[in-house]
Amino acid sequence: MMRELRFMLRERAIWAWLLLGFVLSGSAVSFGLIEVQQQRSEITELKRLDQHERELILSKQSTWGASAYYTFHLAYDPPSNFTFAALGQRDVSPWKHRIRMLALEGQIYETDTSNPDFALIGRFDFAFLISLIAPLLLIMLLFDLRSSERLAGRLSLIETSAANARNLWWLRSILRTLALATALCLPLFIGGLTSGATLSTLVLCIALVMLYLLFWMVVASALASANQSGSFNLTVLLGTWLLLCVVMPAALTQIIEKAIALPDGGEIVLTQREAVNDAWDLPRDATYTPFLERHPKWKDHTAWDNDKGFEWKWYYAFQQVGDQTVEPLSQAYQNGQVQRDQLASWLSLISPATLLQRKIESLAGTDIRAALEFEQSVRDFHAQLRAWYYPKLFQPQNTAQGYNAEEALASIPVFMPSK
Amino acid sequence: MTTQINSTIRIAREEWRQWLRSRLAVLCLIVFSALLLATTVLNTLELWQAQHQRLHLQQQSEETFLNQPDRHPHRMVHYGHYLFRTPAPLAIFDPGVDTVTGQSIFLEGHRHNSAMFADARAQARMGGFGGLTPAKLYQLFLPLLIIAIGHAMILRERESRTIGPLLSQGVSGVQLYFGKLLAISVVIGLLSLPALFSSIASNFSGEAALSSLSLYLANLLYLLVWAGLTLLVSTATRSRGIALGILLTVWVVSVLIIPRIGVTSASAMLPSEGKILSDMRMNEDLRKLGDGHNEKDPAFVEFRANLLDQYKVERIEDLPMNFRGMIASRAETKLTETLNTYAEERMQREIKQTEHLDNYRWLSPFLAISSASRNLAGTDLETHHRFLREAEAVRYDFVQGLNQAHIHQLSYIDDINRNKGEQGWRRARVDSANWQVLNQFRFSPDSAQDRLNRAAPKLISLALWFIVLVILGTTAARRLTP
Repeated sequence: MMRELRFMLRERAIWAWLLLGFVLSGSAVSFGLIEVQQQRSEITELKRLDQHERELILSKQSTWGASAYYTFHLAYDPPSNFTFAALGQRDVSPWKHRIRMLALEGQIYETDTSNPDFALIGRFDFAFLISLIAPLLLIMLLFDLRSSERLAGRLSLIETSAANARNLWWLRSILRTLALATALCLPLFIGGLTSGATLSTLVLCIALVMLYLLFWMVVASALASANQSGSFNLTVLLGTWLLLCVVMPAALTQIIEKAIALPDGGEIVLTQREAVNDAWDLPRDATYTPFLERHPKWKDHTAWDNDKGFEWKWYYAFQQVGDQTVEPLSQAYQNGQVQRDQLASWLSLISPATLLQRKIESLAGTDIRAALEFEQSVRDFHAQLRAWYYPKLFQPQNTAQGYNAEEALASIPVFMPSK
Repeated sequence: MTTQINSTIRIAREEWRQWLRSRLAVLCLIVFSALLLATTVLNTLELWQAQHQRLHLQQQSEETFLNQPDRHPHRMVHYGHYLFRTPAPLAIFDPGVDTVTGQSIFLEGHRHNSAMFADARAQARMGGFGGLTPAKLYQLFLPLLIIAIGHAMILRERESRTIGPLLSQGVSGVQLYFGKLLAISVVIGLLSLPALFSSIASNFSGEAALSSLSLYLANLLYLLVWAGLTLLVSTATRSRGIALGILLTVWVVSVLIIPRIGVTSASAMLPSEGKILSDMRMNEDLRKLGDGHNEKDPAFVEFRANLLDQYKVERIEDLPMNFRGMIASRAETKLTETLNTYAEERMQREIKQTEHLDNYRWLSPFLAISSASRNLAGTDLETHHRFLREAEAVRYDFVQGLNQAHIHQLSYIDDINRNKGEQGWRRARVDSANWQVLNQFRFSPDSAQDRLNRAAPKLISLALWFIVLVILGTTAARRLTP
């Protein structure tokens, strides 16, 4: 085996491919780290401005109702220590929101993403490199293993001199595969250690990469026949790559989209707006009845001071009723996304490139599941905000404690990321 | 001359016979043609449906706005309006940024909202290159087919030792080169038929012939660049394995790696802030302008004094118009100036990033064609920005139109007493005929000439690539020896 290793390391072409793999992986990892760094500093800046603005606005209000109307709250999903390996869904799903106590359904679909040209072309991250480029590098290392020896007239000589010819070819393939895996994973390991990713995540990810490359090794060895020319083998392997890495994922995407239809997003926001705006002209009971179903404890507190045509508690009640009205649609939208993701995880079993990418994204916390969890945490925070304001808004007039900026500043809920 | 042309055609015909005899080549051609056809048909159907649906939603949204009952005009300002962007006809070939930007936008007073519901967000993540579009197939993957069937064009003659007899029969190396170029060009021409179909289909949904034709020709030119490159490598190398290795490496680097490195480089060199962050910086400026809902805001003291002076009255109640409406209108103007300044800044930033990315086209013809293709199809970043600008114009017009109704059709006294019981509530309304201030919105791409102008630098770089590759190829062919 050592002899084979020495043979391999003597070939300059192999060194060239390994070096290319190392350089590409190094750049993918450093690009990922830079991007994560930028996102972290953006979050720091956002938190600073958010705090500053809230202090300023709360200090200028005179009623609880107005303070709920004018105060925005930052919600964000910080990148994990392994996000650098797969930026995944973060390019298309929001990872930051600014919300206030109005109907949430009108706010939660806003997306603050970067230049659309970037999302279109995609990132050069480790997940992309491994799932799509690495198989090509491996194909380059393996397609000519036997056919080149035949061309050089050494094939029969080697096969007769080796104790077991079949084992020899496997040994050579495995050595090359391991060499490539090392070149690709070394930058990941170093990057992971500097960014503080846990060892278990790194080891798991490297194990996945190994499995994936072994899969491609088997494919390459099975398809690259000794009796065909190198270019024939390469063309066949390239076709296989195209099938497994391009056509299959694209076809599965189509199938999933057709199989599970999502409600039209436009309908959710339109319905929500109608519900909120109609409430102004409807009898107050039309708002309070559905509101009290959810919040029975305020049922004795909806009295109306007839001199006033406007009351904040009523205003926020119909904001909440607006959310309640579209709940079925919005639930269907979320469930649809979950179902699509579940179906995707089943279907990915037949598409190795998809499987690997999904696993790395899930390790990095940048898959759909993570995006949906963030959305849920924003919903929870909004509910917390309502729970904090409602007692202040619904207290009877005579016992109501007036607006107090210091109390507001000290105890108003602040979004805490779950991770 | 005619004999030269005849021998060029003869060489090409011989090459086609070779391809037809190779089972691998025929299989590749069949698979790719099927993929192209299926993708073209599926995308066309899907897009037509989306077009239809968005137009319907747009009409519906306009109708509901116009059908709102009599009410306080400022409530209509907050009721707002939805705009839907119908995709450009050529999006059946290249949907461009439409899939990531979101298709609808909510317009309301005092705010710029971002576009919502990008398809990409709800799509299942299946890795690979996402869903296929005709543009992706032509631009990303068809070069692979050209490489696979073309890398051996000259090398085969060399390996089978037919090159000596050919050259001694009086066929020059350059003739051989052009014969092979003709052979591969005809294959490219055949494979481009689905793209031609997309072009013609787009004409039926109102696309200008100049755009659809130049989009088709630009893609042909791009594929010819790959043919030129393949032929050059086939002429200049000595073994098929090496030729294929070189071509594949070039493909991986220029199609898969450089564009993504360009993206990373653009976002690192010209970092742009997200909308939320720049909105928060903008709020600092906005706070100085005063709140248009509050006529007692200190920012309006001077305005109020001037107005009283101008009409020679003592109290705002005596003004011939509604002071609260005046404030709302004035505040909206000032605020819109600030909003637009920040929005313009952000858009300019994105354009600069895209220009930075476009500069990588000299290293990667893929970047040249993909950018030119989005320009020509009317699905590029600039078109998205125009959508945002037009949406802003619609927003400003209807908000100010409603503010005019607020100023002139609602008395100040009724307005300040709007919260005084049922009666006050009912009096503080204007007629719903005023909702007609809303303009109809139908989004259409830029003129064909504008789009062509935007694409021109990229088309020039493609043409240069092609010319240089042909010059190098013929030079190498002239030196061909048995």
